[in-house]
Amino acid sequence: MFDLKLDHVSKRYFVDADEGSGQRWSWPVRQLFGKTRSEIWALRDVSFEIEEGESCGIVGHNGAGKSTILKLLSSITAPTSGEITIRGRLAAMIEIGSGFHPDLTGRENIYLNGSMLGMSRAEISRKVESIVEFAGVRKYVDVPIKRYSTGMSVRLGFSVAAHLEPDILLLDEVLAVGDVVFQAKCLDHMARLRDAGRTIVLISHDLAAVQRVCNRALLLQQGQVVMSGSPRTVIDHYQEMAFADQVAGIGESVAGRQTAECSSVVFVSADSQDTIRTGYPMIARLAYRASEHLEDVSFSISIYWPSGYLCVQLTTASSEPHLRVEPGSHVLEFRCPVLAIQPGLYRVDVSIESNGQYIDRRQRCSTLQVDPGKLVQGDFYMDHTWRMS
Amino acid sequence: MDSSESAGSLAGYSRANVSPSIRIDGGPELSASATVRPVRKIRPPSFSVNTVVSGLVTLARHRDLLWTLTLFRFNVRYKQSMLGWIWAALQPLSLMAIYTLVFSRVAKVPSEGVPYPVFVYTALLPWIFFSNAILSAMRGLVSYPTLLTTMYFPREVIPLSYVAVALIDFGTAFAILGGMTAYYGISLSWNILYAVPIIAVLSAFTTAISLFLSAVQVRFRDVGLAAPLIFQIGMFATPIVYPLAAVPARFQRIYLLNPVASLINAFRELVLHGAPPDTAQLGASAVITLFCLILAYGYFKSVEATMADVI
Repeated sequence: MFDLKLDHVSKRYFVDADEGSGQRWSWPVRQLFGKTRSEIWALRDVSFEIEEGESCGIVGHNGAGKSTILKLLSSITAPTSGEITIRGRLAAMIEIGSGFHPDLTGRENIYLNGSMLGMSRAEISRKVESIVEFAGVRKYVDVPIKRYSTGMSVRLGFSVAAHLEPDILLLDEVLAVGDVVFQAKCLDHMARLRDAGRTIVLISHDLAAVQRVCNRALLLQQGQVVMSGSPRTVIDHYQEMAFADQVAGIGESVAGRQTAECSSVVFVSADSQDTIRTGYPMIARLAYRASEHLEDVSFSISIYWPSGYLCVQLTTASSEPHLRVEPGSHVLEFRCPVLAIQPGLYRVDVSIESNGQYIDRRQRCSTLQVDPGKLVQGDFYMDHTWRMS
Repeated sequence: MDSSESAGSLAGYSRANVSPSIRIDGGPELSASATVRPVRKIRPPSFSVNTVVSGLVTLARHRDLLWTLTLFRFNVRYKQSMLGWIWAALQPLSLMAIYTLVFSRVAKVPSEGVPYPVFVYTALLPWIFFSNAILSAMRGLVSYPTLLTTMYFPREVIPLSYVAVALIDFGTAFAILGGMTAYYGISLSWNILYAVPIIAVLSAFTTAISLFLSAVQVRFRDVGLAAPLIFQIGMFATPIVYPLAAVPARFQRIYLLNPVASLINAFRELVLHGAPPDTAQLGASAVITLFCLILAYGYFKSVEATMADVI
């Protein structure tokens, strides 16, 4: 049985030609003189269903229509044509805490925000202690929100929304705000909802989060669903698409004197497995071509989280003495006895340096897909043994 | 691609794959999912009977929000102010003083044998309720743009909460009226209970105008700029500073088609003379009000869905 259904949904926005130029007040006047507004179709004839208990990720470029879908599903705006069916109680977490009134106390805001989300006063009264506890703001519950730190008010907003017990949860880049503990809370809450059989729709740039939480993904492009399937296949396709747009082959060189250049980077499993898995050996091969003799060379492969932070680096720079490179084509092989990074999709940059200057540097030139191997919680896998005494 | 198939084959994979970095104890208890779930259909907005009916159903479900919002609106307004709720009484009292000076002492306007201060105050109360409710309700929606673009709730609760707060203010000022009538030796009878239907119809009419104007205001801010002026003029088209008798008899029928004029006149007659309202006139006002209310609500609901796009 489906929980969400979009049936040939389209959404058109009008944009004033000179909006922002300070002449918005005269819009009706310009209408009279026949000036027209330009229209933008944010969604065109979109149809899909999300089943009960599914966790579905929606990915796509900026402007592909992700936020529009979220706004339609949460009733913030209405479709221009088509029909949306929603079965069950739906909670949307968009810009958490935006419903707070700065002059009201934390407790008053819990009531205000909770009833905006559709809770009854009785229901809120029942849950208010738990909300305060979960947000960790017990000491400040009778203090006006304007005295709260940003982190505190976001936590409180999340806590209220988390207590809504929705059948369907919509999330929009929630993981992008807040600290590590808060993000863990979000993920934990999502996992609990999902394990309880609730439906989750996650709209995010964080492909790793989509892959972690979701069991299906939709790819949006220019207001249309172009692909639907397992997160793995959809993300792979999206990445290919994205890389096709941004890079040709191994990518454009962004720096360097071009006396040497990278020609490919590949990752393979070192123990005759098909896939690269956490806790097992991995080999990275960097092929390069040099046109002249080079001294003091170092090679690096940088592996980034989807969030853009550097996760780990494979490099020759830490070894002495530095490498010397002869003209011609060569392959450099990095061996990792135990791959410590968790399952997910990582972005890869490569670079060649000489005497502290880039000879060649290619950003987002490849991706590294890590599959579940030895499963533990935490950000990294650390090789370990144990014994009983 | 078949969604259920891919979901099934991947369920095991992604279950095992969830590994939040930090486990946090506590958090909301998850009760069993309700077996009967409400089904909602979202279609392009339209101006229809269906819109009005489904709007009322949604509003009924959010009645607690209206209550909470009204309560907090009332609390917030007088936070960090020293006189607090006294402001609610100060406005009609000071207007009463100035109008008494101008229209009674200077212009010698007749007041049906009643002391002019209480005569004008009685009519000022419902008028101030009417105009304050609408002026504040109109600004309500446009002062919360982020709320409108990030959260869904029936938008009409915002203007409605302003009307409700204005009604509470009316109650405060009405208590003072009780004291004034006693001071001027005007006796109140049980007939005063007729004030309930009069104020009910006036509130409904106020709601209708508030809904309509606040919806228009989202698109055309001109309305908000013009409103204070229109209300100032409107006050003189209503029997407040002068008695109804001052209106030529042949215009009175048309004049009283304006529910505000008719209701304020009825309210004053009731309080100062204990006269029960004219059923025909009250009925006519009620019918006009109902008609306006349905139209205004239908209009509001039909543009509500795209308010977030244009605000």
